[in-house]
Amino acid sequence: MKSLCHNPVSSLLKLAALAIFVVLGAGATATAQQTARIQTSSLDHLAVKATQTVDVNLDESLMQLASKVFNSKDPDEARAKQLVTGLKGIYVKIFEFEKEGDYSPADLESIRSQLRGTSWSKIVNVNSKKEGAVEVYLMSQGSQVLGLAVVAAGVKEIVVVNILGNIDLEKLSDLEGQFGIPDLEIGKPKRKN
Amino acid sequence: MIKRAMTTVADASTGPTRNLIPRRRSWNIVLIGMVAFACVSVVSSRAEAKGDNFNDVVKVIERFYRVKHKGIPFLARAGMKTAVTAARIAGGSKRRLAEVGSVKVAYFEDQEFSSGNGPTAFRAAMNTALAESWNPLIQVMSPKDEEQVYIFLRDEGEKYKVLVITIERRDASVVQVTLSPSTLKKLIQDPNDMGRAINAEATTDQE
Repeated sequence: MKSLCHNPVSSLLKLAALAIFVVLGAGATATAQQTARIQTSSLDHLAVKATQTVDVNLDESLMQLASKVFNSKDPDEARAKQLVTGLKGIYVKIFEFEKEGDYSPADLESIRSQLRGTSWSKIVNVNSKKEGAVEVYLMSQGSQVLGLAVVAAGVKEIVVVNILGNIDLEKLSDLEGQFGIPDLEIGKPKRKN
Repeated sequence: MIKRAMTTVADASTGPTRNLIPRRRSWNIVLIGMVAFACVSVVSSRAEAKGDNFNDVVKVIERFYRVKHKGIPFLARAGMKTAVTAARIAGGSKRRLAEVGSVKVAYFEDQEFSSGNGPTAFRAAMNTALAESWNPLIQVMSPKDEEQVYIFLRDEGEKYKVLVITIERRDASVVQVTLSPSTLKKLIQDPNDMGRAINAEATTDQE
């Protein structure tokens, strides 16, 4: 009895199947490298209660584009170019609520549980009864920073910022107010009233 | 002749050695089917990526909210300023935001947009329609004000296209423009405000 392997059509098909598996495998590896990306889809149910929901997605291709299009000769653009160079993505999710208690602290548990792993370290933790809590987490591998996450739980607002790539607190502070990142006032001196 | 054919089929299905050939063939057919399906999927996704999805988005809005759009040719015939504005940003003397000849506008005027299954369901429908070839840059939903803004970007090699979808209580618009480099920079740096500005440029009646 002839084996299926000896059939040239079957061999060709097996090669094709192998090629498909290799392509799929490469995709899976690329996904595994993006471990600093946190999943925020578990918060989507809050959109029904929120008065406003904002989702910002600046992926790697847009980050690369940004670092290309900004002109180094223009001082403002050079600053923006410097900020985005080395970044692989900026993802922001904001929920604004009408009144206190429209969301529960437990709603953020799905986000915090992702940041409890050994690869993330909490570098900022501010708790205020009036303004809520701000936590900043950093993911690094040796001396290389892979990403940063900010979880800000205000009385009537939730902000989750996830920045992939080479980022630190100073850079985060400079990024605030642009690229869809709200002004979180992290690392900035408090304004005197 | 039918009888003969039936006999052949019956012959092929009897005896262990004769069974082997049809089984091998059926395996080959299954494998060919799988590979063909994979190839067709790749080809169809590429083909879909070539279309700009502008009409798909308009259809999603029409189906979801049961409304009808007005295109720019109609508005131009009616002498409305929207068409003038769109033409202006498409390459007129006051061209500001878009590249020459690159504007598509669909406008939904004085119709009901509070029906349907809510903004969350609409967002899901929109994202599904555009998932293949557009990146969702920013999506803003304000259920209380009955306002939704969706901004998608698409890389076309040398050029970038932006699709701005705005849904309000009684009006909606879909604007697609090929971005000038300066607008692209501003859009990346301040997606929310710049997206709204692109939409306002293409749809408001201001001179």
